[in-house]
Amino acid sequence: MTELQAEQGAQALDGPHPQAKTRRNREVLIALAVFVVLALLPAVFSSKLLLDFVIRCAAYGLFATSLNLLVGYTGLISFGHGMFFGLGAYGFGLMMQKTGVPIPVAFAATLTITFVVALIIGAICVRLKEIYFAFVTLAFQMLIHSTILSWVSLTGGDQGLRGGIPRPPFFGIDLSNQLHLYVASCALLVIGLFLMHQIAQSPFGYTLRMIRDNAIRASFIGIDVWRAKLTIFVLAALFASTGGIIMALFVSGAYPEFAYWTISGEGIFINMLGGVTTFLGPMVGAVLLLILNDTVTRLTDYHGLVLGIVILFFAIGLRKGLMDFVVEWYAQRRNSAGERG
Amino acid sequence: MTRTRKPGVSRRATLAMMGAGAVTFATPRVARAQAKTIKVGMPTILSGRVAQLGTSSRNGVMLEVEKVNAAGGLAGRQIEMVIRDSKGQPQEAARVARELVNTDGCEILIDAEASSGAFAVHEVARDLGVLCLHTNSETSALTADPKQHIPNAFRTARQGVHDSIVGGSYAAAIAKTKGLKKWATCSPDYAYGRDTTGEYVTYLKRFAPDVEIISESWPKLFQPDYTEVVTKILQAKPQALYTCLWGGDLTSYIDQANIYALFSQMEVFAVNMADYTALTVVKNLPKGIHSGNRYIKTYPATPENAAWGDAYKAKYGEYPTNWSWENATAIMLLAEAAKKANSADGKKIAEALRGLTIKSPFGADGTVTMRAEDQTLVGYAIGWGTTIPQEPYVPQVQAGDWKTIFELEAEWKKSKGYT
Repeated sequence: MTELQAEQGAQALDGPHPQAKTRRNREVLIALAVFVVLALLPAVFSSKLLLDFVIRCAAYGLFATSLNLLVGYTGLISFGHGMFFGLGAYGFGLMMQKTGVPIPVAFAATLTITFVVALIIGAICVRLKEIYFAFVTLAFQMLIHSTILSWVSLTGGDQGLRGGIPRPPFFGIDLSNQLHLYVASCALLVIGLFLMHQIAQSPFGYTLRMIRDNAIRASFIGIDVWRAKLTIFVLAALFASTGGIIMALFVSGAYPEFAYWTISGEGIFINMLGGVTTFLGPMVGAVLLLILNDTVTRLTDYHGLVLGIVILFFAIGLRKGLMDFVVEWYAQRRNSAGERG
Repeated sequence: MTRTRKPGVSRRATLAMMGAGAVTFATPRVARAQAKTIKVGMPTILSGRVAQLGTSSRNGVMLEVEKVNAAGGLAGRQIEMVIRDSKGQPQEAARVARELVNTDGCEILIDAEASSGAFAVHEVARDLGVLCLHTNSETSALTADPKQHIPNAFRTARQGVHDSIVGGSYAAAIAKTKGLKKWATCSPDYAYGRDTTGEYVTYLKRFAPDVEIISESWPKLFQPDYTEVVTKILQAKPQALYTCLWGGDLTSYIDQANIYALFSQMEVFAVNMADYTALTVVKNLPKGIHSGNRYIKTYPATPENAAWGDAYKAKYGEYPTNWSWENATAIMLLAEAAKKANSADGKKIAEALRGLTIKSPFGADGTVTMRAEDQTLVGYAIGWGTTIPQEPYVPQVQAGDWKTIFELEAEWKKSKGYT
């Protein structure tokens, strides 16, 4: 919430000619402040539930926000974004199980693998538009999912990576300690969101919006649309993969469900809940979905029904995500206040 | 621009509400003191295609928990079950298991998850050190693989390799007397189907070396239409067919194969047939299907087993499943171990569980044992028989020999590099 309010303030103050550098400095400060607040939470609340919750929020938040870079900013509706979540989880898990390299090395290597895979898949997919793009990404996702299922000797098939992921300490950080994992997840989340926000606010980010609104016009003024789309596809994959790594660390394993289409579906669901027109919409959506999921499964076995009604409420009732609604409501309030004043 | 107080929720009120929300959220609902009750957490699948796994597991557990509580509970502490749905997703299973222990204050976990979910909960048990009883996963590696072994996790379910050994030797005996040489297999395309079929064929060939597999089919899990598979098998003209399809898949398969009169053209061995989930659902149960027992109240043919099955039916309006007895056994073992340890402490119960033999309606000789070396259940009723279309469905069950099972299991472990 702090970041959200601060950001709205920042946007309002920036005016029509934002000083890019001061704004970036301010964002660094906000990101640091958010991280400090998150990191101090366990000192205030001793609940382990809260730690688990925030770790999962970090995984889903990174995943959903990176999906929004494609869906909301570029207009690429990917139905297969979950493959990179799964790839991150499996890449990292396998690296730690088979090679025993230090965690930062495995982390970097996993991102490298994701980079290569996303580059290949992206090069094929981003040529296509709309529903064709959606379905080809879905097809690649199922390809990766099937590969995980059938390559039993490497991945353990549908039983997943068994035996736990070893987490040797590095630089004094022991990720098998829940508190350390919590702080590390918060750090990854804040850094990830900060980087993605920089991408969204950069000239490249505005190029993406232009491609979304009118790709032909963009190419007429000399933008290489294919290259821009491919770049954001690969970047988004890297953040989704980071989300997968956090999830793998949390459950100490990787399972084929992480690369299944339902994960991509959840990503879209989160985006619908939170809204795609604001940067923080998916993050809010992720928190919302996880709260809903956790409380509803506690109370009833018919959680599918409840979640379905909620999404119907958002889709038909509000016709937008929660953040879209909040932002509009806030703008209206300001306007009416201005008129009265 | 002057700002006046506007109707609606004020910023202060919003902040206060957020604060209140945060506090409610973060306060542990349960103080984890030495309460009089002992909470036992149970993540399982209560929604989706295999919801029956969760509901019949829950029934099996509750039936026994009531008895234990009526008799004074675990070392004087009443058991309170906290049962939650994981939707069959491993990450949810892990989350729910952690939540049960960390927030709800559960001191013991009954892991009623299937396949990958069980491994996810196993990692939680490794991480938190909480006593954990796996009740539904039959994947041999869960307990046989020393890499998986942790002192606080036990399995009270069947084990895949036991079934294969008994099934293989039973089938080989029939293959020899009836001269069945050409075999086909038809099993669901996932780890359980592939592994179980592979092991079964291994033991079948070991006992009857001239058997030959002439056709293999791998329908998808939860496939609705089996016409293609049925016609493929009929064209191959095998003398016998093995299948480890289960539940709704098995009943759909039988209903569809009946149309082609498949069962009159070959001997069929269906390991998962003798479970009420399949027996009572098939429209026209063919006579003479060979099946392993999962749960039927007539085998073991003891009054205790029949009484247990009837009590379950009286309470829940349906017969128990294989999952029911496996989960009931977990509670029976816990109760005995707590009595022996005279404590409800997880570590002491774990110590008492190792090597514990208890009287059980599901035992081959009236008892089951928690084997100390790999902390998995042995001595349970395991056998094969043939079906008839009405109750008792499988009248004659030929018991498997646990001595042979132990010998071959040890050999199998060696071949896998587990010992």
